[in-house]
Amino acid sequence: MTVKLVKVTPKVERYPEYEELDWVIAHGLGVDHTADITSFSQTIAQAGSIKGIETYYYMRYDDSPERNYIPMAFYTVLGKPKVPVLLHEEVEPVGELFKVIAVFSSSLLLQKTAQRALLFDGAKKDAILLVNTSITTDDVVRLVKKYNLAQDWFGKVVTISAAKIDSAIAYPMLGALARGWDRIDLDSILTALDVLGKEKKKESVRKGYEAASVKEVHVLAEETEMFKKIKREVELPEFTGEFWTPDVYYAYQKAAAEAQTYPSRIAAMPRWEVLAPGLIEFGPQPGKRNLGFTTPWRWQRPIIDMNKCTDCKLCHYYCPDGAIDFAPIKVDIDYCKGCGTCEKVCPVKAIKMVPEIEYLEGLRDEEVLRRFEQREYGF
Amino acid sequence: MSSQVAFKNIKEIPPVDYYTSGRRTCAGCGPALGYRIISKAAGPNTIFIGPTGCMYVANAHQFLTSPYAVPWHHTQLGGGGAAAIGVASALRTLMLKGKRKLEDINVVVMGGDGAMADIGFSGLSMGLSYDYQRLLYIIYDNEAYMNTGVQASSTTPWGATTTFTPAGKVKPIGNTRLKKNMALVAAAHPKVKYVATATLWPPLDLMNKVHRALNAGGPTLIHVLLPCPKGWFTNPSETVDLSRLAVETGMWVLWESIEGQFKLNYRPKPRKHVREYLAPQGRFSHLKDEDMEKIDKMIEEEWKFWEESAKLGRLVVPY
Amino acid sequence: MSAIKPMPPVAIEKPKAKVWNGARAIAETVKVADVDVIAAYPIRPYTGIMNALASMIADGEFTADIIVADSEHSQFEVVKHASAVGARVFAGSSGVGLAFAAEPIIVTALSQLPVVAAIGTRALDDPGNFGMEWSDALMFRDFGWLISWAKTVQEAADMTLVAYRVAEDRRVLLPHFIALDGAAITHVATPVVPVTKQQATEFLPPYRPPYRIDPQDGPVTKAQHIAPSLIGPEERKTIDVAQKRSKQVIAEAWKDFAKYTGREYTPFLETIGMEDAEFALIGMGAYMKDLELVASRLRSKGHKVGTVRLRYVRPFPAEELINALGGVKAAGVIEFGYSFGSPFGTGSLYHEVATSLYEADAKPTLLDFLFLGGREPTVEHFTQLAEKVIESAHKKPQKKTYWLTLRGEDI
Repeated sequence: MTVKLVKVTPKVERYPEYEELDWVIAHGLGVDHTADITSFSQTIAQAGSIKGIETYYYMRYDDSPERNYIPMAFYTVLGKPKVPVLLHEEVEPVGELFKVIAVFSSSLLLQKTAQRALLFDGAKKDAILLVNTSITTDDVVRLVKKYNLAQDWFGKVVTISAAKIDSAIAYPMLGALARGWDRIDLDSILTALDVLGKEKKKESVRKGYEAASVKEVHVLAEETEMFKKIKREVELPEFTGEFWTPDVYYAYQKAAAEAQTYPSRIAAMPRWEVLAPGLIEFGPQPGKRNLGFTTPWRWQRPIIDMNKCTDCKLCHYYCPDGAIDFAPIKVDIDYCKGCGTCEKVCPVKAIKMVPEIEYLEGLRDEEVLRRFEQREYGF
Repeated sequence: MSSQVAFKNIKEIPPVDYYTSGRRTCAGCGPALGYRIISKAAGPNTIFIGPTGCMYVANAHQFLTSPYAVPWHHTQLGGGGAAAIGVASALRTLMLKGKRKLEDINVVVMGGDGAMADIGFSGLSMGLSYDYQRLLYIIYDNEAYMNTGVQASSTTPWGATTTFTPAGKVKPIGNTRLKKNMALVAAAHPKVKYVATATLWPPLDLMNKVHRALNAGGPTLIHVLLPCPKGWFTNPSETVDLSRLAVETGMWVLWESIEGQFKLNYRPKPRKHVREYLAPQGRFSHLKDEDMEKIDKMIEEEWKFWEESAKLGRLVVPY
Repeated sequence: MSAIKPMPPVAIEKPKAKVWNGARAIAETVKVADVDVIAAYPIRPYTGIMNALASMIADGEFTADIIVADSEHSQFEVVKHASAVGARVFAGSSGVGLAFAAEPIIVTALSQLPVVAAIGTRALDDPGNFGMEWSDALMFRDFGWLISWAKTVQEAADMTLVAYRVAEDRRVLLPHFIALDGAAITHVATPVVPVTKQQATEFLPPYRPPYRIDPQDGPVTKAQHIAPSLIGPEERKTIDVAQKRSKQVIAEAWKDFAKYTGREYTPFLETIGMEDAEFALIGMGAYMKDLELVASRLRSKGHKVGTVRLRYVRPFPAEELINALGGVKAAGVIEFGYSFGSPFGTGSLYHEVATSLYEADAKPTLLDFLFLGGREPTVEHFTQLAEKVIESAHKKPQKKTYWLTLRGEDI
């Protein structure tokens, strides 16, 4: 049964009250960076508070709990004199909110965000992009123009190779932030660390401040790849007043999965009349993968050397996400999260995990290769 | 009841996952991997029941998304035991009354340790006392309430740090309760057809146990140890290795009770010192050498009972 | 699948009345209603229903699976899931047992599963008390369950049948409580004309939910965890609309019921003497008969007193109530439920009545009479309260709420 589709232009709502504030959004890989991003956000809020600025920080509760390697984001909000900091817990990446975009792993320059939007969706025109990376500022700008920018950007990029200074990367990042943003200066960060009982980290902050590279940026929307590519409309089943059958459901699912902006994704969500009574959805037909949730989480991908491969099937068996087809052995990269299990279980070492930034862009980023060392809860 | 090995060769396993890709589970998630393997073994004529937990929330938490290629229904955290009985009873009665064609349908509950060993203990016990066929309770044991943020459950091992039992200045051990053995509890129910423990290693072990359970002719239970990189503070790539180390250090014992007959599946020879298993895990990083020795000794003591059970061919309670 | 065929009046079976208590009578209806799965757990006073059903099943009087659960929480989980697979189910409880089952009870409504359950209302602990109070049933009125309230054993038996018809209707698909005033119904035996197997078969279409949890309906995923920015109010709206649609379904069902059985009920309200009433006594359940007697006695003394009995709490018949109370100067709500600390210390039924009357053009003086702790009120108490209602029309009452069975000062 074919489902009749109609084009829908999403409604984009903006909230001037929220845009008056300074938002800092810090992106990281779930669990791996949770403690770092929490420290980062907390210190900024503390520094702001010391300067008499109304502030709060949080992770969108809808986005929690974070999972290993899922793109996740924390928000820190700084008020302005006479501008109240209103609660906007379900903040969406639209309009001009984010003054600072802090990125804790360069793989996130290549992927969609926690909200499945472009990194620069919702950014102010003069946003400051702060990245923990050992690649150059030029390369950062180039990557952003290719993958994650579809609007004007007349701001700054700041890079810092944080783990080189301190494995607790929040602190060099804070120093680098002070270099790039006058609103949160070095002294208030150092004082904030005193208040938080983290005096030992002040040296890392100073070193980050010194070592950071800063560059002014001037990019027009038309110069970016995503501006040309991005599709804002969605195609939805025509509303008949009936609740959905599996075919109608799959059509909605496809529209949501293929949505390229946050407003498009919201537009793909059904109105209540379409919901089958009893909270009914439909899984994929056996043999198919779940369309509604492809996973751009991976910061590294498996490369299988088919000459070495003995077709033992252990990588298919042991992939936690079932992303490796059984026959022939092949990785469905859309569903790979880069956990690295396949590399470990391969008995002939035919699989090698390669960072996405290296695979896709030929760049070597020391920060991405650091060992997983999570030892404290971030939550 | 069939005790033949259904899946002899990894090259001959069913290629289809009925719990498939495209979900919000952690990279390296042990329970998700276990779920995949179990779904392969169960096949398409299966209904999954999902009590609240990681294997509920992480497989959703959006809208217009589902990784279940077979019927799936949520139930409450403590509802797993009873929900399965409701499903099994409905199927059987509808078939008996001619309202549905006669068919073998598996009913598999994927319940976490918190769900099945704590809040749903009573319902699970009720479920095990009935005689519905093709009913399998899986306890995916990641040793804490992970979805709510790593809180201790009654299967959290001694010495593990959790958010409810953090290692601190005046309480340096972390969790001081001892791990509850749910497979043992299940086997103590009269006439339970099949009870087993499993983990991700050796390959095919879990699949064969699922197959045996579903063909055992009555409610069955498999207690599966499944490492959790988020809550155990381990590298996502280490999940399978940790399963293997759990078995090789004797921390996790692989056994089956088939209509009351005890069978020890694996005897680590020699048994590795437990520190090999504990060292990669951040949740044990606060333990001193003497603490790890204590754990190793506990394992050594407990193994006397597993050896005795193996000799007798019947379960001897190790406490 | 049988279509609903209207039967000509001559063909209506008129079976003989049997003297059954409420527990037995309800069980007898469940027996003929082609129920598939029953889950039982003992608690007074509803347990007799399950005892009767277990006995019938053991003797082969009908085919159903009866599961003895380990708790009420499990009991209601069992029927919730059996219903999702496509089985017609029955459960029940009382008092704190019902409270223990709160989690699956709420989820059952919010996931639109047409479970039918009898509540033998009973005072909640503490203290333990076998007496009758309404709060165990009424505390669930927020979640989407349809709630009907029986006056007699006969009505309880009849409501059980109609509950399946309404709950399972595709326009509704909501669970249904049949509430009855504890032991006053379950343990009191009166002549009951049973619903026959033929009547039930003709009246009830087979239960067929749109999507079952069953491999033959494909990979249905039910009750996924959601992110509210994506979906949230929409899933609640379906419940709201189902309740709104249920009114029409209820009216149709009772009309059909009369055709098959000859027993007529006005669907939402039973009103006596309300055409010209100046004073109204509003209540539910078994003690309405006593109130009707008091009303008629006062009529013979020249007071225009009428009674309004609610047969449904959910959906609440607000429009019908406003119409019935048109022209009334003062009314009293007679209830057995409480809401401690509520505005003016009034009870739950009062809240529903007062909220409805807020929309009326003319609002009568409204008093609340709380009979709590399970102590049975008498005709004497009902006479007192009726007189207070009449008095309140002339003189502003000193109090709003009255605890007439209380020993001690009613402050």
